[in-house]
Amino acid sequence: MNYIRKTLNSTASLALVGGLSFALAPAAFAQEATFVIASSAVGAPSYYPVKATMLNVSNYLIYDRLIEQDEKQQFHPHLAESWDAAPDGMSWVFKLRQGVKFHDGEPFNAQTIVDWLALFQGTENQFMIDAIDKIEMVDDHTVKLLMKQPDPNLLFNFSSSFMGVPSPKAVKELGDDYGITTAVGTGPYKLESFAVGQETVLTRNDDYTWGSELSQNQGPAKIQTLTMREIPEQSTAFLELKTGGIDLLYDVPTDFLPQIKATPNLETLSLPGLVVMYMPINTSVEPFTDVRVREATALAVNQKEILDNIYKGVGAEAHNFLISSLAEANVDPKYNISYDPAKANTLLDEAGWTMGPDGVRQKDGKPLSVTLWTQGDTEFKRVSEAVQAQLKAIGMQAEITVYDSSTIRDLYKKNQHQLAVRSYDWANADILDWFFSGKRLGYPNISMWNDPKSEELNQKAMTGSRTWEERVANFKTYHEHILSQWLFAPIYQPVQNISYNKDKLRVPAEIRGPGLRGQTILDMEVME
Amino acid sequence: MTVNADSTFYRVVASPGGAIATVFLATVIFVAIFADWLAPYSFEIQNLPMANTPPSVAHWLGTDEFGRDVLSRIIHGARTSLKVSVVAISVSVCVGMFLGAMSGYLGGIFDRIVTAVVDLTWSFPEILIALIFVAIVGAGMYSTMMAIGIAYLAQFTRLTRAQILSLKNETYVEATVSLGAGPRHVVFAHLLPNALPPIIVAAMLATGDGIILEATLGFFGLGAQPPIPSWGGMMSNGTAQIFTAPWIIIFPGLMVALSVIAINMLGDSLIRALDIRSQVRPA
Amino acid sequence: MLGFAAKRLLLLLPVFFAVSLIIFLIVHLVPGDPIDNLIRIGATPQQRAELAAKYGLDKPLFEQYFLWLANLFKGDLGDAIVVRRPVATLIAQNLPYSLTLGSLALLFSTFVGVSAGATAAVHRDSLVDRGIMGLVLLGSTIPGFWIGLLLILAFAVQLGWFPVSGARGWSSLVLPVLTIGLGGTALIARVTRVAMIDISQKDFILLLHAKGLPNWRIQIFHILRHALIPVITVLALRIGWILGGAVTVEFVFARPGLGTLLIKALNQRDYPLVQGCLLMLAIAVMLGTLIGDLLQAAMDPRSRDALKS
Repeated sequence: MNYIRKTLNSTASLALVGGLSFALAPAAFAQEATFVIASSAVGAPSYYPVKATMLNVSNYLIYDRLIEQDEKQQFHPHLAESWDAAPDGMSWVFKLRQGVKFHDGEPFNAQTIVDWLALFQGTENQFMIDAIDKIEMVDDHTVKLLMKQPDPNLLFNFSSSFMGVPSPKAVKELGDDYGITTAVGTGPYKLESFAVGQETVLTRNDDYTWGSELSQNQGPAKIQTLTMREIPEQSTAFLELKTGGIDLLYDVPTDFLPQIKATPNLETLSLPGLVVMYMPINTSVEPFTDVRVREATALAVNQKEILDNIYKGVGAEAHNFLISSLAEANVDPKYNISYDPAKANTLLDEAGWTMGPDGVRQKDGKPLSVTLWTQGDTEFKRVSEAVQAQLKAIGMQAEITVYDSSTIRDLYKKNQHQLAVRSYDWANADILDWFFSGKRLGYPNISMWNDPKSEELNQKAMTGSRTWEERVANFKTYHEHILSQWLFAPIYQPVQNISYNKDKLRVPAEIRGPGLRGQTILDMEVME
Repeated sequence: MTVNADSTFYRVVASPGGAIATVFLATVIFVAIFADWLAPYSFEIQNLPMANTPPSVAHWLGTDEFGRDVLSRIIHGARTSLKVSVVAISVSVCVGMFLGAMSGYLGGIFDRIVTAVVDLTWSFPEILIALIFVAIVGAGMYSTMMAIGIAYLAQFTRLTRAQILSLKNETYVEATVSLGAGPRHVVFAHLLPNALPPIIVAAMLATGDGIILEATLGFFGLGAQPPIPSWGGMMSNGTAQIFTAPWIIIFPGLMVALSVIAINMLGDSLIRALDIRSQVRPA
Repeated sequence: MLGFAAKRLLLLLPVFFAVSLIIFLIVHLVPGDPIDNLIRIGATPQQRAELAAKYGLDKPLFEQYFLWLANLFKGDLGDAIVVRRPVATLIAQNLPYSLTLGSLALLFSTFVGVSAGATAAVHRDSLVDRGIMGLVLLGSTIPGFWIGLLLILAFAVQLGWFPVSGARGWSSLVLPVLTIGLGGTALIARVTRVAMIDISQKDFILLLHAKGLPNWRIQIFHILRHALIPVITVLALRIGWILGGAVTVEFVFARPGLGTLLIKALNQRDYPLVQGCLLMLAIAVMLGTLIGDLLQAAMDPRSRDALKS
């Protein structure tokens, strides 16, 4: 059964008469498709990237960015045709693509950049352009950015979804409604309707001729109408895919992969993930003030066992803090953290924790008993249970407590934690600053790590790099130092599983990009 | 109205439904109490190579994603689910009876306030009350108990108050008061004992609902802390494997349904045996 | 009767203040705050403080409460912090979904529950009675999320009659309505059954039998009609369920609704939105209770007197 649904603005009043839309089912083979976005992005409240703190995949389709990233996190031109940084990193020149128009017909030019960057002032995302001092218009399609300090990470920021370029004119005209009822970008799709937490309907931008080099097709998209649904319960989303209610599902849990393989019309794409699951160790509380206990704890985690059993071999083991596709993850192998129970046991013996008769170590009459916090999602609970059993094997008793994500952050700030199982989703080495900088103790710095050497290396990596290469080198050094202090145990890196109906959708064999984004959707087609 | 415990019990067990329900519940309670001896395997020790194996001779109800025996986890889960529900409802009944009795007997401003608050919370969906409460104090077995207890508090307060109000004007109570008995004596010695039968039955039925509520909180990941099993928690973990290993979710689901049905059947035969049908069910 | 209603309405005012205070305190008692759900990886600690100030979260608690209350009296529920829309708009957008689903489920429960209860009452203590009540009970003994999934598996996946999820069109309502409706049927069936049995033993019914009226006429026009009054009272009191009780079902079927809005806001600590939703539910519940009381007063003058004392 295929439920072809007429796109319909599902505002409150229309919802009641929604049943009528069935009479208006469109002709077969229309270039229409329904995708379900990742469950982690459900509820993203707006499509105004400047002020947004959470965006879903539709934002990549409504807006274009100056720069795009590929699957290896390399940068490619898009709205910026080329860029050039001064050797001291104190200025950048960006040449903009000509002939680009916003959905409302306004031209995209140097003035756009000036007006757009001005919008960031005082917003949640101001930090992304904080290093920029002044913007000069060199000509109609060239801008020069003068910097307060060098910031090679500008390239990453310009390729981020939060720096999709909106029409500054539309932003000013619509005020608070911008991004909620209307969004005007230069992207391959226009925002037709948006019901937060439910669905976003996108229609093709027929004037689009400025696709990036990451797409085969640089012209207008082939699919005419895209409905992006939000389904919080993953079993439900999977069943929608199975019954043909939807055509593509982002973020398929590994549990469902065997079922998808067994369904003849379904196909799964696997892209490298952007998530790392890890176990932070609170260095400020007993017994983890002793670096040997920290090291033993980190060495007790058996990454392979978790990958093989909980994730059925789908994904990759994590051995340091960053996703493998980042250059900064490629540290000297001696710093990588891997399962080594013999060494873990020796270290605990050395630290004075002797094995007790009940299989729990003790020291001065106190058992080696710690708390292990986690969040309510099935996946976190499962990994926590596995880690709990692994810690037990080296004589450490961990008691699991489950919290919701807001409570757990509050409790981190109160420094009542010892161990936790959590994950982050970020494709840049500056995540090290976020989780280990002495400025953010408690949360996000759950490890409560604050030492002068780390702060110095952090400073150098964050603000002391003039070029991208220098930044990579500085972050690698910082990363290695963090690893040497045993502040966490790396666990697992998932892959992005995207399943689709191959009888309906034609998807390019090669996905260019860190995820399934605009550049690939441009090449997709509904089969006739 | 006096209650003769022996004959009530006899009348309950004499009805076929009551007999079956009593035997079933007694078995579940027995199993829950002696779980440590009865469970064929440990509920927490993982055996990953044996993960997700279907029911077999070695594992009658199959194994879960950690290779743990589902039957053993259901047996231990019976302990969690029953404990959560029974403790929660007992506390709820005690507090509710106290509030309701005071409110019904004293009347006046105290009654007004209690009634207003109770009416308000009574009409709120229990699941919302429980979810809000768990957000405040955090997840876990004890907060689940408290959440369920608070969610049902209004029901018992209301019921006790209504009972007290209807009994207050009975002749024998008026006689006791005219003989100079204080309010505490009247309430605890005369009113509450006579109001008890319908409350006991309502408490039984609420225990059934409590098991479902515990399961629902478990579904939102807010039940007992792993690795302690509870029926709800097992179902929640099993949702993702509904196709690959359906036994993980089917058997605990079956136990929830059967226990709740048994509790309801027992409650019904109690109602019949005590002949109090009109006092219990309709709010 | 009008005076009685007015008096009850006046009584609601102090309750409203108490409720608003309780709601405010509950919401702020929950650990955590909305700002952590607002900042992104990379934001500086100063930005965090600035954001807290922007939403007035750095002010003393009582000041925040009075600001909220003052705005309430201007008819302004405030703006949601994380979702960034007026609270009133969000409620207005979700309310129709909750109302549609809730009232249809209630209709289903009432229709099936009353029919089942009445049939059982007529065949009291027979096998028919036991069978019907047992079946009805079954629906309320299975947790909603589990019934929901089973219904999806049976009717959407196997048979393909209805869509798996979503909130578009009547066909997408069938399974959620069934899920909630089945859970609520037992209560209504029981209330109906008990009330009918009670009334059938009243003197005036015995008189009607003595007069020789056909049994079916007595059952439907006299017993059932009177038995419906307690049923309606129970329904009026359960308005909170209609509006907010469908959280699990909304989650499983990916439907919007007030329950989901509230729980999501609670998880994100979106204070104004949680307060707005809870207040709205509380008002609805208070009005429901009022209607229930009025109905009861209309049919039983004694409870009117009780209020005067």
